[in-house]
Amino acid sequence: MLLDALMAGDRRALGRAITLAETGGDRAAELGRQIREHTGNARVIGVTGPPGAGKSTLTNRLIGALRAGGQSVAVLAVDPSSPISGGAILGDRLRMTSHTDDDDVFIRSLAARGHLGGLTASTPAVIDILDAGGYQQVILETVGTGQSEVEVGEIADIRVVVCTPGMGDDIQAMKAGLFEIADILVVNKSDQDGVDQTVRHLESMLSLRGPEHTRAVIVPTTATKGDGIDDLLNAIDRCSTILNPNERRRDRTRRLLAGRAAELLREHLLRHDSERLDTACRAYENGERSLEQSARDLLKLEYP
Amino acid sequence: MNTQTPYRVLVTKVGLDGHDRGSRIVAAYLRDAGMEVVYTPPWQSVDQVVRLANDEDVDLVGVSSLSTDHLIVPDLMQALRKAALEHVPVVVGGIVPDTEHALLFDAGVSAIFGPGTARDTIVNTVRQLAAAARDALENPFT
Amino acid sequence: MNRRAEQQQPKGYEKAETQWHDDYRRDIGDAQPVHNRSGVPIEPLYGPSTDPGAAHLEHLGLPGQLPYTRGIYPTMHRGQTWSQRQLIGHGTPAEYNERVLKMIDAGTTAISLIPCNSVYRGNDCDEIPLPLLGTCGTVVNTAEHMDHALSQVDIAAISTAMNDPSPFTLLSFVLNVADRRAVPWQQISGTSNQSDYLSHFIANHMFFRLSLEGARRVLLDHIAFCRERVPNWNPLSVVGQHMQQAGATPAQAMGFTLCSALQYGRDCLQRGLDPDDFLPRFTFFFDISMSLFEEVAKFRAGRRLWARLTLEQLGATTDRARRFKFHGQTSGADLTRQQPLNNIARVTTQAIAGILGGLQSLHTDAFDEVINVPNEDPARIAVATQNILREEAGLCDVIDPLGGSWYVENLTDEMEKTIVAVIDTVENAGGMYAAAESGLVQRMIGESALAWQDRIDTGDQKIVGVNCYRVPEEKDNHAVPPTVRPAKDKMQAHVDQLRRFKTDRSQAAVQQSLTALARAANSTDDNVFARVVEATAAGVTHGEVIACLRQELGFGQPLIVD
Repeated sequence: MLLDALMAGDRRALGRAITLAETGGDRAAELGRQIREHTGNARVIGVTGPPGAGKSTLTNRLIGALRAGGQSVAVLAVDPSSPISGGAILGDRLRMTSHTDDDDVFIRSLAARGHLGGLTASTPAVIDILDAGGYQQVILETVGTGQSEVEVGEIADIRVVVCTPGMGDDIQAMKAGLFEIADILVVNKSDQDGVDQTVRHLESMLSLRGPEHTRAVIVPTTATKGDGIDDLLNAIDRCSTILNPNERRRDRTRRLLAGRAAELLREHLLRHDSERLDTACRAYENGERSLEQSARDLLKLEYP
Repeated sequence: MNTQTPYRVLVTKVGLDGHDRGSRIVAAYLRDAGMEVVYTPPWQSVDQVVRLANDEDVDLVGVSSLSTDHLIVPDLMQALRKAALEHVPVVVGGIVPDTEHALLFDAGVSAIFGPGTARDTIVNTVRQLAAAARDALENPFT
Repeated sequence: MNRRAEQQQPKGYEKAETQWHDDYRRDIGDAQPVHNRSGVPIEPLYGPSTDPGAAHLEHLGLPGQLPYTRGIYPTMHRGQTWSQRQLIGHGTPAEYNERVLKMIDAGTTAISLIPCNSVYRGNDCDEIPLPLLGTCGTVVNTAEHMDHALSQVDIAAISTAMNDPSPFTLLSFVLNVADRRAVPWQQISGTSNQSDYLSHFIANHMFFRLSLEGARRVLLDHIAFCRERVPNWNPLSVVGQHMQQAGATPAQAMGFTLCSALQYGRDCLQRGLDPDDFLPRFTFFFDISMSLFEEVAKFRAGRRLWARLTLEQLGATTDRARRFKFHGQTSGADLTRQQPLNNIARVTTQAIAGILGGLQSLHTDAFDEVINVPNEDPARIAVATQNILREEAGLCDVIDPLGGSWYVENLTDEMEKTIVAVIDTVENAGGMYAAAESGLVQRMIGESALAWQDRIDTGDQKIVGVNCYRVPEEKDNHAVPPTVRPAKDKMQAHVDQLRRFKTDRSQAAVQQSLTALARAANSTDDNVFARVVEATAAGVTHGEVIACLRQELGFGQPLIVD
């Protein structure tokens, strides 16, 4: 019944289904299985970057540009949960209010709920629901804290990393994480001083990346004024043409499965197979095996 | 299941006023009590609040009002009913003249928190109302 | 009094002081240290040993002399007492006019106009649900409305304070009315209250109308226009009140406000305006909390700092340009819903603090403000409070009566240090505009608000009737008169009249003015406010002016940081 309503574009059903996915359990799994055949059509655009880079304003502009092209847009805005109380203030919506009257825009805030990766454990399931609900574009907006970027990389089809002029040191710090996953590097607030220098800096960093990353492009924007948004959209579209939808979907599923398997393996080793883990540990500590070798030793073992 | 996931609460301001010290403090109270608070800027329209309540699938709506915006809360109650969200309790915080409490209660508002209301009163009332609303939704598929 | 106290200590004073200290410690033990709202530690006693000494006199100045710590005029309240500026506004322009004429009959020489919340939001009344119209202010959307509101009011003689955020349509209407009545603009006097867009972006979103950048542009055009054509108008009131009401400590509120004023001053300099010309037209607007001595010290330190900043940062050369003129409003956030009559005592305390702090004009809150839009009786008591303090309490007999108090002089210095630290934080972040844009100021205010609320929640800060000295509910609240709402039929007629006005006016003239306004907004050399004045003269409404400028200059959203 929920499935039918969802497929019919019922907003109430969509809101409830996401809650169900967030809650988890058998029913959520069942729903996820039922909608699978209706998914794979949405394009998932990850938008991440350090706090204060202007992600929400940029997202807002991106919604406008996508809507102008006749596309329906869903936004998932993820905020961290308080590690102490478990509560959260989901304030990313603050500046996303200009599209709240639009029937073809659906915005949902999610709290990370202690999920370490920065995204929420249910994010892939929620994206499937929005996809099945007919949303053509899904924007996944997260704060780049140095943890979430890897997950955004796993989940999003196109990864937009936002920075601003003068974030030199921050960019250096981002190098290992945010920077590595970017398909598109946005230099927002490009009306400020130092934009050219930042672009040059990014270009020189990009030139050091391996061949698998060469398609990353740099786009200057001033989201508050809407400048550069068309360029960003064009860059996103160009990125999308590299993979066809089926490949894109397969790609995402592969990454998801591999990621989930790695998580399960880690859990299993730590909780249920500490003996073998300790053995490998000792071999490493004694200097008999390198870290890499010890890890490979573990992987050779069979797990249920 | 109800105890496992945090309550989701919308804290918002409808109408024209822009004073948000109260709504910010209440949002922090509820967050610190373990709830997920969807927080909006002021000046939401009735339709926008209904949409937020639906899309964010909240367990309760809190409306903060300082200068007479509570007068359109009855419109909000009606709009929520029309959107099949009548199970979502609504509480109002801020300045509501005594003589207009009945107007809000008659329209279906669950609680009114005036200035100086104790933190515990706000948190406990919101938690109870949110829990009851969640329990009333026996089938999450409806 | 001018001699250094230490040198004058009678024999044995030191011993006596030690004795007191021992006695105090014995009786009270190592009690919890006391801090004021700004975090300044407060000693139990101040005396000769804490006297800052003769060098301190240089930092004081005499009344009317730099650096103005003791007051900006030689006579202060001994000469002219503060002006009594109660904010009023309710219902339709006709209803406002009725009330204003009564006040003028009763001897008022300065009036104010609070517009309806719908006006603040930038809407005409035909776009807004009827129940929300005119409940907190007057519904003024056109020059016609202003003409009605000021009917039989001699606008050449009376000073009018308009609560009028960017793009200043209310002043525009007043100037249109002046033209109709053949009153030269040079004779129009008053203040654009709520012209400080940074305070709206940061703390009171009520008045927020245009994007930060757009508001910055229009304010500068407005200041330049007024300096040239409406010379007796104060185009800028820099507001600390919003930030303190939103939770900033008194020292933060003063520091942020001075930073905003610096920002506006620098923007004016960049525009090529003369600091000796524009600075005397800057006014300030502050909140006055219950923390009496802290507020006095806040104002004394603020005066001293502004005298310095105008010289060092803005290049003022005349004394007049360095005077810190301010309006004070008693703090509504300190009032309680519980036992509302107690608020009369609170407002009195706050008003005393403002008067002793040397304010130029004062608004006292009505005791029911925390429950209602003020009713007539409570509003009358608020005015009476000012009259009693002025006529009966002897507060005006002596200029800066707390000057020379060991405590107050010490506290003034400490508050100054705390305020300077706030200013340094903002300046290091690139000035107030940048600090507001990045959310730094909002975050600091939010933290202070939560810390204060925490003190109340834990009982560290006692609030009578809220967390102590409570009475049963049924004994509470009886004194509050019922809320009066504007008559619906009159308001509906007003809305209908606006709709007819919109149909009947010359549509060609309206279109032409809006095109000119849009063009000005996109130009770099045309004055946007000059085009606003032309547009409203041609029948363009308040809502239409703002819609046009939002289109051209951006709507933006205030930045709220959690």
